[in-house]
Amino acid sequence: MKSLSLKNLAKTYFDAYKGEHVTAIRDVSLEVPAGEFVSIVGPSGCGKSTILNMVAGFIPHSGGDILVGGVPVKGPGPDRGVVFQSFALFPWKTVLDNVGFGPKMRGVPKARRDEIAREYLALAGLSHAADRYPNELSGGMQQRVGVVRALANEPDVLLMDEPFASVDAQTRMTLQDELSRIWEERRPTVVFITHDVPEAVFLANRVVVLSKGKVLAEVEVPISRPRVWDRLVADDEFKDLSNQVLALVRSA
Amino acid sequence: MERTSRISAALIFIAPLAVLVALWAIIVPVLEVRPQIFPSVAAVGKAGLESLIDGSLVRHVMASVSRVAIGTVLAVLVAVPLGILMGVSRGVSAFLTPLMRFFSVLAGIAWIPIATLWFGYGFGAIVFVIFNAVFFVVAYNTLLGVSTIPMTLRHAAASLGAGRRAMLTDVLLPGALPNIVTGVRTGLGFAWRGLIAAEMIATDVGLGYMLFVARDFYQTEVIVLGMIVIGTLWLLIDRLLLVPLERATIERWGLVST
Ligand SMILES: Nc1ncnc2c1ncn2[C@@H]1O[C@H](COP(=O)(O)OP(=O)(O)OP(=O)(O)O)[C@@H](O)[C@H]1O
Ligand SMILES: [Mg+2]
Repeated sequence: MKSLSLKNLAKTYFDAYKGEHVTAIRDVSLEVPAGEFVSIVGPSGCGKSTILNMVAGFIPHSGGDILVGGVPVKGPGPDRGVVFQSFALFPWKTVLDNVGFGPKMRGVPKARRDEIAREYLALAGLSHAADRYPNELSGGMQQRVGVVRALANEPDVLLMDEPFASVDAQTRMTLQDELSRIWEERRPTVVFITHDVPEAVFLANRVVVLSKGKVLAEVEVPISRPRVWDRLVADDEFKDLSNQVLALVRSA
Repeated sequence: MERTSRISAALIFIAPLAVLVALWAIIVPVLEVRPQIFPSVAAVGKAGLESLIDGSLVRHVMASVSRVAIGTVLAVLVAVPLGILMGVSRGVSAFLTPLMRFFSVLAGIAWIPIATLWFGYGFGAIVFVIFNAVFFVVAYNTLLGVSTIPMTLRHAAASLGAGRRAMLTDVLLPGALPNIVTGVRTGLGFAWRGLIAAEMIATDVGLGYMLFVARDFYQTEVIVLGMIVIGTLWLLIDRLLLVPLERATIERWGLVST
């Protein structure tokens, strides 16, 4: 586990169609200590995905610094695990081989990486699906595999961009319960992007509200753990915090 | 259940062909067609038996099939890496696309005359023609396959630690494989036609040559036998090799709609 720090981060896209520059991120500074879970919320187009893609190294940043454990980010790398909204599982690999892909890239022998993959699959209750192909699984199961695949590579920072946005509401709550439990067990450093304010509050230690490429506010979430929906649906502290964040997002 | 449905599918496929043979068996004697125009079923059967016994049919088939196999394998070995290179590099693809467009129109039999000048009559010229017929389709389909791999898959692989080599073997190749197989299937279809044409001109053994020589002696039964063998061999290659391969990749991975 390592810390993530963004210092005066900026991003300007060149819109080739319009032939003009678009500023997506003006000036974002953010500290995520090792082992902390931070959610980023904000209206559509405020730059959430842009930040995540820069931290993942998929796109270059135009200004400022991105440091993981104090080291500047250059391109994608296994120190930053990513969970995608579209799951992004390899359709030609079984679930087991998808999860074992990161260890394979590190040169872990086949027998050992199967063992690692099975251990992580068990963590998400997916042991029975090990030999299936992704297209044989429901969306909810595919995203469990997506999360487990990122975790099995033991990244320093876990980056998630609306990972539960494309599954039904019922499954989403189960996945949130599970992610919360896994985080409590393993304590990875997480940056979690979402549109869904209750989701952001439920999962995070801290919620960052983004507006037009800048940080509008940061809200601490001191709700005790373990957190499960059965308890939090009726929790007043949870409701108050959610309403507070919601009001901020509305004003953004 | 699976087995019986397969057998019935095969029967449905064969039935129209059987009807055609039956019509042939009736029409030729009824209309008293002269053997110089079209042979009887029996004559073709006899020609088939004779050429099997004296070994000439096997020799022609082996010659044709080995040329197609070698030309195709060589073409795939060159076309797939080139297609992948085009798929990942805008520069390479921008430079090569016009050339590919131009040469793909000419692919196959238009090269026969110059191929015989370069390689002489025989094996080299014919393999070159096959290579040509397969190469462009496979390269183009590989390029297509690579460009349909979602960017997020490449991102996912990179953030799991994949370097250039793993990106190639674990993402680009398998991702493009369904298209590559489709390309090989189409290309082999071209190659098979090109082969017959090339063998009529540029060799002294092979199915195309067999047809061409038989014409000089008015041996319509040998010509028709050759045509039947050509058609049947293609159906066998396509049904028993290419279609199952295409299915195995496309259906298993659920790549049909995505
Ligand atoms: N490749 C690009 N080229 C030009 N402009 C872009 C590009 N990608 C994003 N933008 C612009 O940058 C801004 C931020 O986009 P971004 O995708 O980061 O928003 P977001 O907060 O993730 O939105 P959403 O909640 O809808 O996912 C938007 O105005 C968007 O139009
Ligand atoms: Mg987004």
